[in-house]
Amino acid sequence: MIIIGEKINGTIPSVAKAIANKDAEFIKNLAKIQTEAGAAFIDVCASVEDSLELETMKWLIDLVQEVTETPIAIDSPNARTCVEAIKFCNKPGLINSVSLEGNKIDVVFPVIADTKWECTALLCDDTGIPQTSEKHLEVFAGIMKKAKEYNISPLRLHIDPLVQMLCTSDDGIITVTDVIKEIKATYPTIHVTGGASNISYNLPARKIVNQAFIVLAMSAGMDSAILDPTNKDLMGMIFATEALLGRDECCMEYIGAFREEKFGQKSK
Amino acid sequence: MLTDSISKAIAELEEQQVAELVKERLDKGDSPLEIVNSLQQGMAEAGRRFESGEYFLGELIMCGEIMQDSMVILEPLLSGSNAEYKGNIVMGTVKGDIHDLGKNIVVMLLKGSGYNVIDLGVDVPKEKFIAAIQESNAPMVGMSVLLTGCQESMKETIDAIRAAGLNTKVLIGGNYIDDVVKDFVGADYSAQAATDGVRIANEIFGA
Repeated sequence: MIIIGEKINGTIPSVAKAIANKDAEFIKNLAKIQTEAGAAFIDVCASVEDSLELETMKWLIDLVQEVTETPIAIDSPNARTCVEAIKFCNKPGLINSVSLEGNKIDVVFPVIADTKWECTALLCDDTGIPQTSEKHLEVFAGIMKKAKEYNISPLRLHIDPLVQMLCTSDDGIITVTDVIKEIKATYPTIHVTGGASNISYNLPARKIVNQAFIVLAMSAGMDSAILDPTNKDLMGMIFATEALLGRDECCMEYIGAFREEKFGQKSK
Repeated sequence: MLTDSISKAIAELEEQQVAELVKERLDKGDSPLEIVNSLQQGMAEAGRRFESGEYFLGELIMCGEIMQDSMVILEPLLSGSNAEYKGNIVMGTVKGDIHDLGKNIVVMLLKGSGYNVIDLGVDVPKEKFIAAIQESNAPMVGMSVLLTGCQESMKETIDAIRAAGLNTKVLIGGNYIDDVVKDFVGADYSAQAATDGVRIANEIFGA
């Protein structure tokens, strides 16, 4: 499972405060604990007004890179910001994200075409988030057409089917799991990603719903997720699910993660 | 304390490192037998860690797999087939019982300790035990049983072995096995823990 650590995000009040106060230690600590918890990428989202976004991104990325070698996930709704922030990064990471909205994909794909950068692509277009699996797959086909055009291998793509809140869904996550299965059947090497917590919006005891979601989504083929890697219950669930899906020989990963206190034990 | 790098690597379950070290030592001209000995020491250490509760079962099995992978390379290089082994041991789960987890662990540990184990599998009829003992001339046979209902089957097997004139030492092992069961079925040794098997084998073979 590819874990994208979500904690450095300006939409989180404590992070917004740290950004406003230039609290470098707070940010560095978030990068450090997420790396120790097993994040493959550290997501960095400034979420400040447009005129400040790029400089805030640079400040955040520099801080993260001071304390960890873990690659950056540049997280911005603005494709220009994503592309501009690439130069702040010491090594290839992940662009989070493009979609078929506006010209996002045409801004990002040419820049990362001949690099090792990976990219998250959301399954939505100018008409919004698809409500049927047919429409999801239509948007997916559009993204893959662009990927082919710029010679970006499926290995470098993380497709996000955009899970919506469970409390208003007619069929739970069946549409999404169907889409995931179809995508993985067509492109076995492509990554399928998503946020682990959108699903439980407006429900009580959200953690429980989030954990059940990750199990079902992984079972359908999700192999990448944006979440809080320091959430030990969730991480334990992920390691257990990997083993249950037959992807963990002799449960070595599960046991190893347990020993490293990633879940199931009180920290020393 | 393990000092040999291969022993350490296999005890730490470093699959890739073990493969590299085996190759390195062969390239250096070390004898395959020495390398097997190093692997065995590391495996014995993993067995101890399992016994003490430090290692989980998955880790012990992993260790066995690393050993097996290494043996695929080393076995053909060991000249004179059985000469390097401490001896032959026949193992099996008695007729009527199909549990093999405990047996497999003991087999792995015995192999790791340098014995040539002829594993007959599960639900093994007495004739098959006898044929294997005769063929290999094994001084020791290990029988595993988990179901209490199969005690009779174990007794019959041992009686048949004796009737065939074989004086092979018989070790029985299983969760509920104790001296009462041992005496009832006419076995020579009994064991509850996997590492008992190795200790008793060493006793029998004087190793």
